[in-house]
Amino acid sequence: MSGINSSTVLWYMSRSTGVVSLVLLTAVVLIGLLITQQGRLPGLPRFAVTGLHRNLSLLAVAFVAIHVLAAVADSYVSIPLTATVIPFASGYERFWLGLGAAAADLMAAMIVTSLLRRHLSRRVWRGVHLLAYVSWPVALAHSIGSSTDLQHGWALYLATGCAVVVTAAVVWRLAAAARAVPRAERVTALMSARRRPGSRPGSGRDLTGAGTR
Amino acid sequence: MTSPMTSAAHDEPWEEPLDPTARGVPGDGRRAARWLPRLLPRGTDVPEDLRAHVARYGGPPYRGAAQLLVGDVRAAGLTGRGGAAFPVHRKLAAVLDAARRSRYSRPVVVANGAESEPASEKDATLLWLAPHLVLDGLQLAAEAVGADQAILCVHAHRGGDVGIALRRALAERDGAQIDKVPVELAEAPPRFLAGQETALVNRLGGGPALPTFVPPRVTERGLGNAPTLVQNVETLAHLALIARYGPRWFRAAGTELEPGSMLCTLRRADGVSRITEVPLGTPLCDLLGGRDVEGTVLVGGYHGTWIPAGKAAALTLDSQSLRGAGASPGAGILITLPPTACGLAETARVARYLALESAGQCGPCLNGLPRIAGALDELAGPRPRRRTVEDVQRWAGLVTGRGACHHPDGTARFVRSALIAFAGELGLHERGRCSATSRKWFLPVPADPARTEEDWM
Repeated sequence: MSGINSSTVLWYMSRSTGVVSLVLLTAVVLIGLLITQQGRLPGLPRFAVTGLHRNLSLLAVAFVAIHVLAAVADSYVSIPLTATVIPFASGYERFWLGLGAAAADLMAAMIVTSLLRRHLSRRVWRGVHLLAYVSWPVALAHSIGSSTDLQHGWALYLATGCAVVVTAAVVWRLAAAARAVPRAERVTALMSARRRPGSRPGSGRDLTGAGTR
Repeated sequence: MTSPMTSAAHDEPWEEPLDPTARGVPGDGRRAARWLPRLLPRGTDVPEDLRAHVARYGGPPYRGAAQLLVGDVRAAGLTGRGGAAFPVHRKLAAVLDAARRSRYSRPVVVANGAESEPASEKDATLLWLAPHLVLDGLQLAAEAVGADQAILCVHAHRGGDVGIALRRALAERDGAQIDKVPVELAEAPPRFLAGQETALVNRLGGGPALPTFVPPRVTERGLGNAPTLVQNVETLAHLALIARYGPRWFRAAGTELEPGSMLCTLRRADGVSRITEVPLGTPLCDLLGGRDVEGTVLVGGYHGTWIPAGKAAALTLDSQSLRGAGASPGAGILITLPPTACGLAETARVARYLALESAGQCGPCLNGLPRIAGALDELAGPRPRRRTVEDVQRWAGLVTGRGACHHPDGTARFVRSALIAFAGELGLHERGRCSATSRKWFLPVPADPARTEEDWM
């Protein structure tokens, strides 16, 4: 492996921001899953968890942008700018870079709908946001497939770890959804759980006395 | 309820000429309208037909120009009679404003007769006795905001007879061709929250009667995303009279700050209940039957406030006076609890009902109200733990202001006021005793809580 110099700096930049992006996006997905269950992080109120989800996702977008632009600007391989937006339009690593472009497009859709959330119905926003379940695995496949970095050593453990925690979180999310009580039955369920021997009218002058209750 | 209560008695102190200087023109109804009741026809318990209605008030006075009615309503100072007392002209203006900005959909007007408060029967009574007055108001409001759709929504269970009367009234109006906008009848499910503005609009849109967060307000984006005006049926009846006789006539009753009259549901301690129309600012002692009335009074219904009768007798029926006692006129419900009933047990039973009527959407309401109800059950029983009162106080504070609608706030107010008003009874319970002697429940509580999503449709 050669050192970093002016001709390889873009190449290294692209690779490293790619790895960081993967970690950030994994964190965003995990916190997003936590939010769907009204979960909390230690020491943070719920609105801060939502804020963290939002800010981490914007940070991830910044890293993805650097990752993409550095790859395009690097002259070692030729990737046309259009190939970063249109999937499978690149001559170099057509399939794996195509996955990356597809994941980025899905991310862009989620970001745009979230920024415009005020003006959209909940259904539309949610429908688009569910694309995270597609976008993240595609991004992971892209990062493993398009470079040899993640195929061995500590980076392989990192990628495997990301895949394991996200899978576990999704399983936890689905299990919770299966257990969820339908809205109309929630209150009745809670009420019957805390039902006490209720009071009755005219229970007499002596509430504790035998025969009056 | 299958048939509504009958109208007011005739010998009430407020039934006198309101404005001796207002000269009536014979035959236009103005003379009759100088006296209360303004809305309900006197001495009858059958619906007023179109002919009698027109003889009493004249036909609906269409203006042809929207702003005229808004100006009149603003000058009259009419507020919503569904409980929130929101200024009517501001809602009208908000809908007009939203309609100007939205190019695609024309506004919708909804007459809210859902009357989901179990203790209230004034809307059903008004719809039964004077359907044409409400329908006039609905047409005038529709004209004022340029609506092309009008819906009259009534309570599904109470609707039986009222629905028949309304269908007959609508047929009469069809025959006489006086309505410019077609009126559609709809039913609200028997849920406590069904009359809440956003819940009603959600139901009319085909969904369950669930409240949603505002904004967007329904005046901006309501039924089918159109600007929607939701007004209580009594409000519309007042509006129909303001359009005829003007703001000065309207202000002849009531106080300077809160003009006009309102329909009240009075439930006296002897079990007799009736609907009456009184000017705002009427001393409560006149309504409760004397200054020396005993017991405790519930002002404003199940989202209202318990006040010891002695203290209540010194108050008047308007927001300004009642605010001092932590209460508001609400939808005009006044209930005197008889000394034979236990206020704590009655409150616990209503709190349980209110908890079961939670939409189950917002955490504080879903988790807090059942806890509060459970704690009240304990307080209503023998020898409650001392800390239970503190628990209720704390939970009531925790749920207040944290729902999409005001259900947790109203329930918390109701429960907290009971802890103060029935402090003496609480002391008895702590010693294992209770002052109740009657074996019958006093406050009306519907028996069938919602179990499935269908029950909200």
